[in-house]
Amino acid sequence: MTAASGHGILRDEPGTRHCLLGNLAIVRGALEAGVQFFSCYPGTPASEVGDTIARIAAEADIVFEYSVNEKVAVEIAFAASLTGARSMCGMKHLGLNYACDPVSTMPYVGVEGGMVIVSAGDPSAITSPNEQDQRHFSRFLYYPVFDPATPEDCRRMTCYAFELSERTRLPVILRPTTRVCHGSGIVAFGALPVERNAIRFRKDPARYVPIPVNARRMRKELTGRFALAGRLLETSGFFPRTGRGELGILASGVACAYAAQAIDDLGVGDRVTLQQVGAYPIPDKVLADFFDAVTSVLVVEELTPFVEEWACLSAFQQCRQIPIYGKRSGHLPVEFEYTPDLVEDAVADFVGLVRRPSATVTVPELPARPPVLCPGCPHRASFYLARKVFGTKTIYCNDIGCYTLGYGEPLHACDVLLCMGSSISQASGIARLTGQRTVAYIGDSTFFHSGLPALANAVQANDNVVVVILDNYIAAMTGHQPSLTTPGGGAAAPGPRPHEGDAEQDDRTARFSIEDAVRGLGVTDVYSVDPFDDESTLAAFRQARKGTGVSVVVCHSPCVVEERRHRKDARPIAYAIDQGLCDSCTACVRVLGCPGILVSDGQYLIDPELCDGCALCAEVCHQGAIARAVSQKEASA
Amino acid sequence: MTGARYKQRGGQPGHGGFRIVIAGTGGQGVLTAARLLCEYFAARGHQVVSGQLHGMAQRGGSVQSTVMIDAGISPVIPRGRADVVVGFEPVETVRALPLMSLETVVLMNTSPVVPYVIAQAAVRGNGEVEYPAVEGLVECVRGVTERVFAFDGTGIAQECGSGRTLNVIMLGCLLGSGLLPCAADDFWRTATRGMPKHLLETNARAFTSGVESGRRFAFGPAG
Repeated sequence: MTAASGHGILRDEPGTRHCLLGNLAIVRGALEAGVQFFSCYPGTPASEVGDTIARIAAEADIVFEYSVNEKVAVEIAFAASLTGARSMCGMKHLGLNYACDPVSTMPYVGVEGGMVIVSAGDPSAITSPNEQDQRHFSRFLYYPVFDPATPEDCRRMTCYAFELSERTRLPVILRPTTRVCHGSGIVAFGALPVERNAIRFRKDPARYVPIPVNARRMRKELTGRFALAGRLLETSGFFPRTGRGELGILASGVACAYAAQAIDDLGVGDRVTLQQVGAYPIPDKVLADFFDAVTSVLVVEELTPFVEEWACLSAFQQCRQIPIYGKRSGHLPVEFEYTPDLVEDAVADFVGLVRRPSATVTVPELPARPPVLCPGCPHRASFYLARKVFGTKTIYCNDIGCYTLGYGEPLHACDVLLCMGSSISQASGIARLTGQRTVAYIGDSTFFHSGLPALANAVQANDNVVVVILDNYIAAMTGHQPSLTTPGGGAAAPGPRPHEGDAEQDDRTARFSIEDAVRGLGVTDVYSVDPFDDESTLAAFRQARKGTGVSVVVCHSPCVVEERRHRKDARPIAYAIDQGLCDSCTACVRVLGCPGILVSDGQYLIDPELCDGCALCAEVCHQGAIARAVSQKEASA
Repeated sequence: MTGARYKQRGGQPGHGGFRIVIAGTGGQGVLTAARLLCEYFAARGHQVVSGQLHGMAQRGGSVQSTVMIDAGISPVIPRGRADVVVGFEPVETVRALPLMSLETVVLMNTSPVVPYVIAQAAVRGNGEVEYPAVEGLVECVRGVTERVFAFDGTGIAQECGSGRTLNVIMLGCLLGSGLLPCAADDFWRTATRGMPKHLLETNARAFTSGVESGRRFAFGPAG
């Protein structure tokens, strides 16, 4: 096994060098710090951190769970810290928002065992509905925040973050971005710890209960503890400075790697001083020493001008006349992730060099590859059948998951979307004001994440909504992590298993029943269907459409990608289009948008490599031209 | 530039290293190919940095990996600074055009993976969205660099027993071309460590075919 695949990461071989993904380097750093507890809710680009810990948890003696949502994940990890354990919690940037309630008070109470929240950012919103800058948690809620530029930064910072957390009793945030999480680089392994923290909860309500009288005392202590973090960071080694030129570049995150590359590629190392900012609060002394060494400053950082404003304030307070360029001065953009080209051009301008000519080649217009529901995906069947019943005028409120891909042509299953769990609340709001019966689509994992309170709210208001729960037994979009409905807690990863032996069963209802949860919240109009059984699914949708108040239709069918991994026979039998019968009515392509159906020279064809044999197109075909292809085995029999 | 030229430049950080782009679509094995290169060169003491962008690749999207060997710490390649582009799919190869220069070597598979938007466009009457002619795409790359080797990698993969070995064919081609400072057989020994036996035979056949293709690819001597 190699280090990159997950298990080699446990090797106790200090000094050896391995090529690791940023997310795996974070895991290695946590192991070297002696992490004892890890909870997470999956989210790109942070998922591999939790998924890797899931695989090694037993061997590394780490208490692990995929939590039901980020708020719960943070609260459990914080509680683990109060027992003395070094605890860690993983999520994407949006998850930190969801967890913000406990996150806001944890610094007041303070940790016992070191606690690190790894919350990955997604500049350019590559796999998210927004981009945001979690570094502000440093000023906003008194968190030390680490901002790694490379996988080796990821390892060292994670490891150090636990120590800083224990010395200041502050929980700490590690904020890598997509390029850092999914970039690989050489990591030098440190030693694994011989001993880990002792577990013991000592009762001390005045210390752990932030009722106002205690909270005000904690607030005063917090100022001192945050100042201590700043002093400790001064000697942490995460503010390296290279070069001695009088042109200063202040850079953070992956943009710092781009800046270093640009300085090298432009050959201006003798004229430039590059100061990396690896953590916040930025110690005053770091900036003072840097200002002493340079005559002007260019700040290179992604997202908000966080370092830039910090530097401006610091320069002002130190009464320095030093020009500071960056986003505020209009030299660099505030939106989207940076590219090496953008940084190189900014550095060239700053040092007074002519920019390298931009690419002279023009790329011809190329077909895009937007993400699409997989061939055989049960969501396609649910969307297709629901639209048959509810029609084009109904307002469809969608949610976060693979089913968001119902957006646009041809499924039209997404008229509004906001965040995790918002489908039901949005369906409620629109139904209440327009008087229309609205439809909400939400997946199993998202339903338990934050759909439950919204459903209870819809029930108490008797909103006129149909909630369609798309249960594919897994969190598919983020990389197939187990959800509450995954049989036995998921084959790939050890989720919490309430009953021994569940893993052996193939009983789809072995863990959580969505229907029971929904009925428990007071919904009486509940249907359970298999979306590939079109008759009963259509009947359920029709009943739900006729109803008033809250109706719930639960569509159960496993994720086709996950199912294929466990299927014994290599490939399902594909369907084929009989060219003699096909009248080129276009319905199969126009209505379903299945990537397995191709149009070539006016002919409609099914790619046998892609077809999963779900037969939905055969249902759609009014000519009966689509049928299961005869397998070689059958033909020879 | 070839392995010899690579050595001549001294394998220094900065300009002296080697920057590889691997471009394809979800499911073609781009990330695995990049990982194997990284692990091989990292184990031999090289400074290796790699980047990948695969937002929703599993759902049919584009995938691009970069592998930098002794070429600094940035995981993303600036415009025109790729030394080699290994294109698993014609349109995806052309998408990497801004990273190429006169000196870039391009190894490209000529078999397309047609995105589903083409079929959608066809039935909706906005048929101007078509999959471009592959010859045109190859010419487009030749417009930037003459050092292009275009071949039907998917066809060879199918001859070897599975279209899924395309990434092994392309890796074989890269190693067989002599562009990198390592021997193909040494790479293959390392890469297959721990590979299940039932996969080994087909993959070995694919790698050998890829290496043969790469050897046929004549750019002449270094630099």
